[in-house]
Amino acid sequence: MANQAGKRSAAQDRLSQVSNHLRSSEADIPRGREALFEKHPDDIVVTCALRTAITKGGRGGFKDTAAADLLHGAFKALLERSKIDPALVEDIAVGCVLAPGGGATEYRAAAIAAGFPVTSAVKSLNRQCSSGLQACVDIANAITAGMIEIGVGAGVESMSSQYGPQAVTEFSDLLNSVPESKNCTVPMGVLSEKMAKEKKIARNRQDAFAASSFQKAEAAQKAGLFDEEIAALKVKYTDPKTDEEKEITVSKDDGVRPGMTPESLAKIKAAFSKDGSIHAGNASQISDGAAAVLLMKRSTALRLNQPILGKYVTATVAGVPPLLMGVGPAAAIPPALKRVGITVDDVDIFEINEAFASQCLFCVEQLGIDAKKVNPKGGAIAFGHPLGCTGARQISTLLYELRRTGKRVGVSSMCVGTGMGMAAVWVAE
Amino acid sequence: MLEFRTHGYNGYSVKYSPFFDSRIAVAASANFGLVGNGRLYILNLTADGIKPEKWFDTQDSLFDLAWSEAHENQLLTASGDGSIKLFDISLSEFPIANWSEHAREVFCVQWNLVGKDSFLSSSWDGCIKIWNPHMPASIATLPTHSCTYSAQFSPHSPNILSAVSSDSHMRIFDLRTPASASNHLTLSIPIHTPPKAQPGAPPAVGIPPSEALTHDWNKYRETVLATAGVDRLIRTFDIRAPGQGPVAILPGHEYAVRRLTWSPHLSDVLLSASYDMTCRVWTDGSAVGVGAQGVKTDPMALGGGRELGRMGRHTEFATGVDWCLFGAEGWCASCGWDERLLVWDARAIMTS
Repeated sequence: MANQAGKRSAAQDRLSQVSNHLRSSEADIPRGREALFEKHPDDIVVTCALRTAITKGGRGGFKDTAAADLLHGAFKALLERSKIDPALVEDIAVGCVLAPGGGATEYRAAAIAAGFPVTSAVKSLNRQCSSGLQACVDIANAITAGMIEIGVGAGVESMSSQYGPQAVTEFSDLLNSVPESKNCTVPMGVLSEKMAKEKKIARNRQDAFAASSFQKAEAAQKAGLFDEEIAALKVKYTDPKTDEEKEITVSKDDGVRPGMTPESLAKIKAAFSKDGSIHAGNASQISDGAAAVLLMKRSTALRLNQPILGKYVTATVAGVPPLLMGVGPAAAIPPALKRVGITVDDVDIFEINEAFASQCLFCVEQLGIDAKKVNPKGGAIAFGHPLGCTGARQISTLLYELRRTGKRVGVSSMCVGTGMGMAAVWVAE
Repeated sequence: MLEFRTHGYNGYSVKYSPFFDSRIAVAASANFGLVGNGRLYILNLTADGIKPEKWFDTQDSLFDLAWSEAHENQLLTASGDGSIKLFDISLSEFPIANWSEHAREVFCVQWNLVGKDSFLSSSWDGCIKIWNPHMPASIATLPTHSCTYSAQFSPHSPNILSAVSSDSHMRIFDLRTPASASNHLTLSIPIHTPPKAQPGAPPAVGIPPSEALTHDWNKYRETVLATAGVDRLIRTFDIRAPGQGPVAILPGHEYAVRRLTWSPHLSDVLLSASYDMTCRVWTDGSAVGVGAQGVKTDPMALGGGRELGRMGRHTEFATGVDWCLFGAEGWCASCGWDERLLVWDARAIMTS
C-alpha cells in the first residue's frame, strides 16, 4: 500500500511539474477565487487545529495554570487527535507575548513533557497580538522552503500570571527622544480611545458591535459550535472563597456573558477617560488560553493519511503608526487579498480579532466587509484575547466554521500593538 | 518528411547516433511520463522509411537518452525512478549496467564529447552527477539545490560542464578546480537578468525568474550558450561576460520551450521544440549579414536574431529535437507527446 501511495504521489508531482511549465508567464497564472481551490502536492495544509478553552484572567478556570501547562495540554490534545507520530514533527513555533524570555525554555520543556521526542525543535516568538499567527506562518514558510517537512504552529498566554508592566523594559532616553518611538509605550486603551475619537466611532456603535459579539458567542456556545475546536483540559484550581485546591475540567470559554444588549453595555463607565467610549464591555477580555495547529505539505498529509482541514494560502504583515495600531487589519488584509487575486466579496468569513470594538468596527467599515461575514461565532470581546494564543486560536475557529457552513475562503487578521497588522488567507476543504 | 509512430508511448527525447547517419534513438514513456513504463526505441532510416531495429522496455518513464561516444552500440537512458541504464543494442532485453544514485527523476544524460570516458546526469533531486561507465558509483556529485532539467559537457573541453535549473540560473562547473566548498562551481548566471541598457532603447523591464528547461553549448563559439524554458524566451549568453546579461533574446514560442540545440553545421542556427507543439529554427543574429536587418517587432527581442522557420506537424507537445551530424546540413528529427517521431529537413521550412 505504502508503495502504491508513493507511486500516485510521484505521478501527481510530475503532473503538477508539467502544468507549471505551461504557466508560461505571470499573466497565465490562474487567479481569483477558483484558483484558490486548486489542490497541489506542495500546498501547505492544516491537518489538525485546536485550542484550549479561553478563560477569564485572574478568575477563570485557568487562573492557577502556568502558560507552559496550557501549552502542554494543547500539544497533548494535538498528538492524540491527529495521531501523528511525534517523531515526524521537526519544529514547533510558539507565539507568546508576556512570558519573560519569550517562554522559550518552558515551552521546550512543555513539548517534551507532552510527548514530543527531543528531536522536535521548539522556538518561541513574539509579534505581539499576532504571535500565534506568526508562529503558524513561520512553520508554513519553513515547510515551503524545505527546511522542515512537518511542523506545529502554536500560541499561548497566561495573562493571569504574566500580565503587567514587567513585560516591557524601561525605555532608554534615546527611544524616548524620538516621538514616534515613544508612542510605542502608549497604553492600548488610551490610544484606542484617541483613535475612536479621531475616526468618529461613537460609543453606541461600539456597544452595539460588542453586544452582537456576546450574542453570537452565546448562541454558538449553546449550539455547541466550539466543541470541535476546544480540547478539554484537567487543571488544578484554587477556589477563591474556600481556598480549597481541587482538580477541575475546563472545556468551555467562561468569559461569554449571557444576555448582553447594547442597552446593558451602555451603563458601563468608560475606562480610560471620563468622556471616553471604551470600557470593559466593548474591549477584549484579559484571558488565558493556548492553541496549536499541525502543518505539512499536502503530499505529506496524503502519504500519512492525515485528514486535511484546510490550506494556508498566504500571509501579510503591515506597519501603521503606533498610535493608530487599531487600523492594522485594514492595512494588512488588502495586500493579502491582492496577492491571491481576490476581493473582499470573495471571502466567506473574516476572523478579525476584536481587540477593541472601535478598531474592529473601523476596519470592517473601512474595507467594506459585510458585517455578517465577520466573526460569526463572536470574538475576543465575548470570550477573551490571550495575546499570544489568539492568532493560532483564530485558525481553528475559522476552519471549523467554514467547514460547518460549507463555505471555503477565510481570512484571519488582527491589529498588533506598537502599530502593525497581520492577515492570512485560508481555504477550508 | 518521414514518420514513425511510437504506439502507446509519448516521446521525450530523440538523438541521432554519432556513428551512423541512419540510426536514431527515441526515449518515450507511457501515459505521458506521469506513471508507468518507459521504452527506448532504436530506429533505422531505410529506403522504405523508418524501421524499428529494436526496443527496450523499462519499469519507469524515460525522460532522456544519450549515445555513447566511445561505443557505437551503447546508449544511456534517464529514468523516472532515478536510475541511469546503459543498453547495448547487440544484446536483447536488459541493460548492461544500471546506476541508481539519484533520489528523484533523472531528466538529462549526456556523454562527454571530448573525454569520451565519462558521462553526466542531472535530476529533480537537485544534483548533477559525473560517472565513468566502468565504475559502479558516481565520480562526482555537483549540487544545484533545485530541479536540474538539463546539464551538458562543453563540446570544447572535457572538464567544463554547464547546467540550467528550475531556479532560473545557469551554472558553469570546471572539474579542474580544486574540490572545495564551491563544488567546482565557477559561474552562476541568473537567466532572467534583463539585458544592459543600450543607447536609443528604453531600459529593459524586470523579468521574473522562471524555470529553465533546456540549454546547449554552441558548437563553434566555445563561450556561447543558449538557454530556454518556461518564460518562452530563448536567450544566448557569452560566459566571458557573465554580468552583461543575455547577448540575444529570441521571443516567439507561445508556450514553454522544452528542448534547444545548436546546429552542428552553422554557428548561428538553433533548433527548438516547445509545448506550443512547434519546432522552430532560429538565427541568433551573430552571423555576417543576418543581424540588424528589418524592424524590431517584439519589444523583448535583442541581438538581431529571428525565427527562420517553423515545423508545425506535431499535434501535441514537442519535447525532443536533434540535428543529424551527417550528410547535408539541415536534417533533423523531432519527437513529441503525439507518439510520433518526425525526420525532416530544416532547410525546407526556412523562409529565407
